[in-house]
Amino acid sequence: MSIIQVQDLTLTYKSGKGIFDVSFTVQEGECFGYLGPNGAGKTTTIRQLMGFTNADHGNCRIAGRDTRKNAAEIQNTIGYLPEEMSFFPGMTGSKFLKFMQDMRKTGGNSRLQELVELFELNTDIKIRRMSKGMRQKVGLITAFMHDPDIYILDEPTSGLDPLMQRKFINLVLEEKKRGKTILLSSHRFDELELTADRAGIIRSGRLVTVEDINSLKASRQKTFRVTVKTENDLTRLQNSKLQISSVRDKQVEVVVSGNINQFIKLLAECDISGLDIISQDLEEVFMKYYGKEADFDEQNIT
Amino acid sequence: MNKTLLKVTTRSGWLVWTIFLAIMLMYKVIIISMFDPDDIESIMAMLEVMPSELVAGMGFAEIGATLTSFIAGYFYNFLAIMFPLIFCIIMGNRLVAAHVDSGSMAYLLATPNSRIKIIVTQAFFFLSSIVLLFVVISLAGILISESFFPGLLEIKPYLMLNLATTLIIFTVSGICFFFSSLFNTTGYSLALGGGIPVLFFVFNMVANMGDEFAWLGYFTVFSLFNPLDIISGDFSILSSLVLPLIITLLLYGGSIIVFDRRSLPL
Repeated sequence: MSIIQVQDLTLTYKSGKGIFDVSFTVQEGECFGYLGPNGAGKTTTIRQLMGFTNADHGNCRIAGRDTRKNAAEIQNTIGYLPEEMSFFPGMTGSKFLKFMQDMRKTGGNSRLQELVELFELNTDIKIRRMSKGMRQKVGLITAFMHDPDIYILDEPTSGLDPLMQRKFINLVLEEKKRGKTILLSSHRFDELELTADRAGIIRSGRLVTVEDINSLKASRQKTFRVTVKTENDLTRLQNSKLQISSVRDKQVEVVVSGNINQFIKLLAECDISGLDIISQDLEEVFMKYYGKEADFDEQNIT
Repeated sequence: MNKTLLKVTTRSGWLVWTIFLAIMLMYKVIIISMFDPDDIESIMAMLEVMPSELVAGMGFAEIGATLTSFIAGYFYNFLAIMFPLIFCIIMGNRLVAAHVDSGSMAYLLATPNSRIKIIVTQAFFFLSSIVLLFVVISLAGILISESFFPGLLEIKPYLMLNLATTLIIFTVSGICFFFSSLFNTTGYSLALGGGIPVLFFVFNMVANMGDEFAWLGYFTVFSLFNPLDIISGDFSILSSLVLPLIITLLLYGGSIIVFDRRSLPL
């Protein structure tokens, strides 16, 4: 059964930006990654899912109910994390969490305590004085503490250190195991690949594709920066069938997509002094996935 | 109405409220203590030194010789409008637009409380804070008057005056609240929600200065409010009480509808 339904959603801002005819569904128990560069329209879609905005046309449904007209009724089934953390700055963390519990009329402190301990958050500090990471934790705890069936998380790991990011990913996986429906947005593919089942890619306000996460993974290329010790090895790499994107001194950047074994065999023959993986940004994923930029835009229009 | 939100709103608003109450009480004590039943002429003489347009603008021109009309002229004509007006501008902006501008409204709406419930709660707080302000002010006025000049204050007209003042400030709060609900940023909310009441206030002052500018009186709600007429009993209930109340209801009703229907940039 589809829990979240976005249908022909169009919402244009005065600047001409916005989202255009976006449609997708998220099934019960599924984790859906909403992927796109900054300004692509992820947050715009999510705002409509929360019932904050009026669409030009199209609509969103959560558990069958219109998210704009029936906004208040569905809120307690949703755990929402906004993109920007703007709470009541004068409150302490614990006061704010208590306030949200009271607004939702959901009691029960055990889940709240668990989450505070999980994220190692000091809740006695005024939110005004909290760092970005701490505020993000308050936001996450707010989203998870009432044990909702659906999560809508906008850029959930921004501001978290790697350790906390791992904890967050584990938390999402746990919730998924419990049958929860999750929509999480990100501008980084690697953030989604551990949690999402499917991903929708949005760019310039248009949903480009909805794909199984594994096929996206397969189509993804990785760039390695190899530092060799001798000129000999440098020529050996250059003469191989590998795709070399740049050479500087004895550093070679190799683009690997399917031919990982060949790459490793060749490396084994060389004298290597350094090997780094260069994280790839989303634009490159797009490039690989759609070939040229021009093709990509055409695809949008047709 | 949501009690939890009301509590939080009250907690964040009581300080501003208390400051305005304290300023107004201070002025009230000063003005009542200035009254001298035996020597009202000396005050009149003092006023004559000042430019007559200015005195008229502040509504001090036709001050009678009784304590009640003295308070009506000096306190209710000017101070009892000006300070609550500033209070309304600050509070009106805070109650809705500031939450939308900062984004904290997203958290309020991410709870199972409808927009109408949220905004009605804020409106309830706003109106009750004004009622409470004037309840304290008017009771304090009675106490102060009785201790300085026992038996001189005419309680009934005095209370009627406080009721009329409360209603005209309701109207001002409605203007502030409406623009606070309508706009996404505190900038616009303050520009119109603050600018219009201040303009009304200035128009009223200028209109009172003399016949030349009396026509400005048609462009301000404060024309509905004449403290000395109310004290003397020579006033129309319709224009002094009923009309401000109707405008208030329309403005608050409009605020609720606008806020419920519009797109919020959260």
